[in-house]
Amino acid sequence: MPPVLEFEDISKEYNRFMGSRRVVALEHFSLEVQAGEIFGFLGPNGAGKTTAIHLAMGFMRSTRGRGRMLGKTFGDARARSRVGFLAENVALYHRPAEQLVRFYGALNNLKGKLLKSRAREVLEAVGLDQEARRNVAKFSRGMQQRVGLAQALVNDPELLILDEPTSALDPVARVKIRSLLLSVRDAGKTVFLSSHLLSEVELVCDRVAMLNKGRLVKLGKTSELLQSGQEMEIVARGIRAASFPGASAADGAVRFAVPVSQQKSALERVWDLGGEVVSVNPVRHSLEQIFLQVTGQQPEQSALGDGG
Amino acid sequence: MRHIALIAINFVREQRWPILVLMSWVGLLAIMGLFINLRTARDDVLFIFKQLGVYGIAFAVFFGASAIHNDRKTRRILAVLSKSVGRRQYISGLLAGILIATGMYSFAMGVTGTWVLRGSHFSASHIWLLMACLVLACLLAATVSVLFSTFMNPLFATLGTAVLLGVPALAGRQLGSWWAHAIPAYSLLELLLETAVGETLRFPWGLAALAAGETILFWLFAAWIFERRDIAVAVD
Repeated sequence: MPPVLEFEDISKEYNRFMGSRRVVALEHFSLEVQAGEIFGFLGPNGAGKTTAIHLAMGFMRSTRGRGRMLGKTFGDARARSRVGFLAENVALYHRPAEQLVRFYGALNNLKGKLLKSRAREVLEAVGLDQEARRNVAKFSRGMQQRVGLAQALVNDPELLILDEPTSALDPVARVKIRSLLLSVRDAGKTVFLSSHLLSEVELVCDRVAMLNKGRLVKLGKTSELLQSGQEMEIVARGIRAASFPGASAADGAVRFAVPVSQQKSALERVWDLGGEVVSVNPVRHSLEQIFLQVTGQQPEQSALGDGG
Repeated sequence: MRHIALIAINFVREQRWPILVLMSWVGLLAIMGLFINLRTARDDVLFIFKQLGVYGIAFAVFFGASAIHNDRKTRRILAVLSKSVGRRQYISGLLAGILIATGMYSFAMGVTGTWVLRGSHFSASHIWLLMACLVLACLLAATVSVLFSTFMNPLFATLGTAVLLGVPALAGRQLGSWWAHAIPAYSLLELLLETAVGETLRFPWGLAALAAGETILFWLFAAWIFERRDIAVAVD
């Protein structure tokens, strides 16, 4: 099955200050997103995430390389009719929510009863059915973001491209949107999710790509990335924490990590010391730890924020 | 066509306040018509009527020069162009919106002018021919300003439009009328500005065809440039 979204060795450079300075936003960037997955797209500010998304949507032209979305070259208007897009810092015309969603639906070739019913359905899906007649200018930023998501969903897209979709949402709305994304995936659609909320990405994404300074630095299944495979965590009782370097004690149990190669000897040592092994599991890293590692940033320097 | 109509109607809706301001001047002319004595103040009324024509052109240029910039600056353009809308359709929608706005204005001006200038040997057909010329001039001027706005900010786009439309008009005064017809926005407006009571106007088919042809060319050129522009970068 051909990829839904495909970047092929794409580079993008901007001219700044009347062309005197060139800024490289993306460099030899290649990526394939397969149908039916939720794909997480991560990177610090200025990494090139939004540039990559804007290239896919045809808002920009690449300096080198090419890409395809739903089998069509980037920028093809027919392909966009099968795509839903939510921009970072959503900006919408000021009019009643339902009218606005219908306007965007009509721009995606929906009409008549179907357009009307889809507009209602998506507003209900994002929890704004009671506010459908209110002008979006009077909405909070979180509510506007939900209207933005509704307009992205109105055409029942095969590919949903979301740039920071939950940044302004409260925890309840975030949970709702998370389950909405999972239901979109379960319906066989693809979600391309750029977010700086790593915990969200960890929860919903099947695969993730990490971008740093315009280059792809990590790509893989979320479950595999989180599971290092290099270290095992051993939890034991009846021993002292001081017996093992780096061990910590809590609730009567001692917890420590050892390289896979030393797992057997560590277990034997626990037993030799008269201890009882409670569990042995591969060490799991959080996406945040992996992110900081691959971007070479210290926690205090890390700026997983808007832009990118 | 549906996309163009949707964008055009959306443009008119977004620009409803400037359009209302524009219309209020026509309203003032209508109010004047209620109270003046046409026999003594006919020339004053005619002067104001001509002035309204100039306002129409000016607004068409301002609408054209700022339309893309406003949508880019507010980032609203992203949601529109993320749909099944081509760049050429987007430009066409904006121009259609400006055409609707200036068409409404010219229609209101025509109705008001016909009523206010009744009984002054100024025929209704004469007024409506002038309004048709005004609409064509507005559309041509707006298309030129949209063309400039695809790669300039609104201030420079307005200045560029003024130069491109003004130079032929000035050249026409120095070198002969042929030069003034090179980009005939001013020539069409001049028909309104130079009109006099008792005059019979023959519709300038040649100028109208030239204006329509140039409008199409400038529109295609604007779309060609806009299709090659990165729209998601800072506009200032």
